[in-house]
Amino acid sequence: MLSKKDLEHLAELARMELKKSEEEKLLKDLEKILGHFEELKELDTEGVLPMSGGTFSRNILRADDLEETKLAGEKSVSQFPERDKGFLKIPPVFE
Amino acid sequence: MKKHLHDLTIKGFHEGLLNKEFSAFEIAEGYFDWIAEKDKEVGAYLSLQKDEALKSASEVDVKVASGVEVDVLAGVPLAVKDVVLIEDAPASAGSKILEKYSASYDATVIKKLKEAQAVFLGKTNLDEFAMGSSTENSGYRLVHNPYDLLRVPGGSSGGSAAAVAANMALAALGTDTGGSIRQPAAFCGVVGLKPTYGAVSRHGLIALASSLDQIGPFGKTAEDAAIVFSKIRGSDPFDSTSVEAEEDDLLKPDFERIKKLRVGIPKEYFAGGLSPEVEKGMAEAERRLRSLKLEFEEISLPHTKYALSVYYIILPAEASANLARFDGIRYSRIVSEKEVKSLRDIYFKDRGAGFGAEPRRRILLGTFVLSAGYYDAYYAKAQKVRRLILRDFDEAFKKVDVIFAPTTPTSAFKIGEKTEDPLSMYLSDIFTIPANLAGVPAVSIPVKKYSLADKELPIGLQLIGRHFREADILGLGQYYERL
Repeated sequence: MLSKKDLEHLAELARMELKKSEEEKLLKDLEKILGHFEELKELDTEGVLPMSGGTFSRNILRADDLEETKLAGEKSVSQFPERDKGFLKIPPVFE
Repeated sequence: MKKHLHDLTIKGFHEGLLNKEFSAFEIAEGYFDWIAEKDKEVGAYLSLQKDEALKSASEVDVKVASGVEVDVLAGVPLAVKDVVLIEDAPASAGSKILEKYSASYDATVIKKLKEAQAVFLGKTNLDEFAMGSSTENSGYRLVHNPYDLLRVPGGSSGGSAAAVAANMALAALGTDTGGSIRQPAAFCGVVGLKPTYGAVSRHGLIALASSLDQIGPFGKTAEDAAIVFSKIRGSDPFDSTSVEAEEDDLLKPDFERIKKLRVGIPKEYFAGGLSPEVEKGMAEAERRLRSLKLEFEEISLPHTKYALSVYYIILPAEASANLARFDGIRYSRIVSEKEVKSLRDIYFKDRGAGFGAEPRRRILLGTFVLSAGYYDAYYAKAQKVRRLILRDFDEAFKKVDVIFAPTTPTSAFKIGEKTEDPLSMYLSDIFTIPANLAGVPAVSIPVKKYSLADKELPIGLQLIGRHFREADILGLGQYYERL
């Protein structure tokens, strides 16, 4: 069902480099797992409302104020890989 | 000192502390000595926070000496799964991609436990990003089951379960997305609670699947689990799914009330597929529960068999989105500057080198089920069947108050037994997944008192309750333990 090309496309979407040596095993595993999902087809879910999350809460609102948090400032960015004159540095997005 | 460690419960520790039988510092030191000896063979911890732990233990001792009232958790030595953030402590999530990362703030649960002056011994080993059922997917080292070192402790919170089982922590925190607290609790002969979805804030938890994840306690007894749970539960503005706890008898169970609970036995959980030792354990547990004169009723949860498929569609979908944040930019970078030239390079190479086999598999699977053309057939379908599974529980809880089931189909399996075939590994969570999908609370309790010396592999019984009725399942658990 899934081809090597499909797998490469998924890896591209996920921005994750795959090794050539792992592709075969990945395809085999995914095939088997997707095969297991076939059992869902036998269920009639016509008109069933999808359960899109775990919570039963609705419309959680809060006042539009600043929340006190320790995460502001230096500590939140101290592990950023590259810094320059107080800026966070990354390679160019457009080349 | 070792005698103390092995005999202690949280209340026992608290009384000993107040009666000056020992100091919190002595106990913390005793734990670190024992960890230094024992953890070489178990592998429960990824990092220890010895200096901070001894310092906070001393602070508790100063308070006790001066007669200031302290919390029941003050000085209690805890282990924390390495996906829950403790400020300035490493937070690897068991993954190489976060090898260099340390947390910049406290999770809400940690903040609450720090207010109670609990002592954090260290961060425990786990399956990478909590993906797994044996802790064999850790990017760092294996965890060995303290009952049989050739067997797995379960997972993904295998380190926390093994630490409590081997007396390397008095209690611990884990996370449960599809059974990751209850399954290792069962394999290691300790109590593990997955709270109701929304009972505990996940702020400061490295997210796996946000519609399923919950933080919960491991303890040696149901009472210990209740004490830790009562401290960490409640609403938090930083997690909008969390809700305030209602008044209940969680800490002082009313056994007259507990005795009147109606217990449901779901036929789908007993319809074959149990190993002989689990079958025997469950028969024993049922006999003991029946001796309490509780009312039993056979019930049906007809969509149980579809839970695994639903879970392994929804979880990878959410995980692939949650793990997108590990991009070599925002947290820390593991590939060297020389290897990367462009932004695209950083993403591909950091993620390519940092994620192990199981996260790779699930990221790709999640990307697939969410991709154009497949969304309706997989993800949308799974969400609908998830609703049917929730309805099963809603129907069942019209008839009964608590559901009695096995936690796992087998006892702890051998290291290496299931690593080659991911689907066979996934199947070991078949009895724990439905509670996560429905959001209901569930606890695993050892069928009987196990002793490490006996080498008998533990079996866990599972009690599943109504939403936010942890007091029912932990109360019944405590009642059961008194037998």
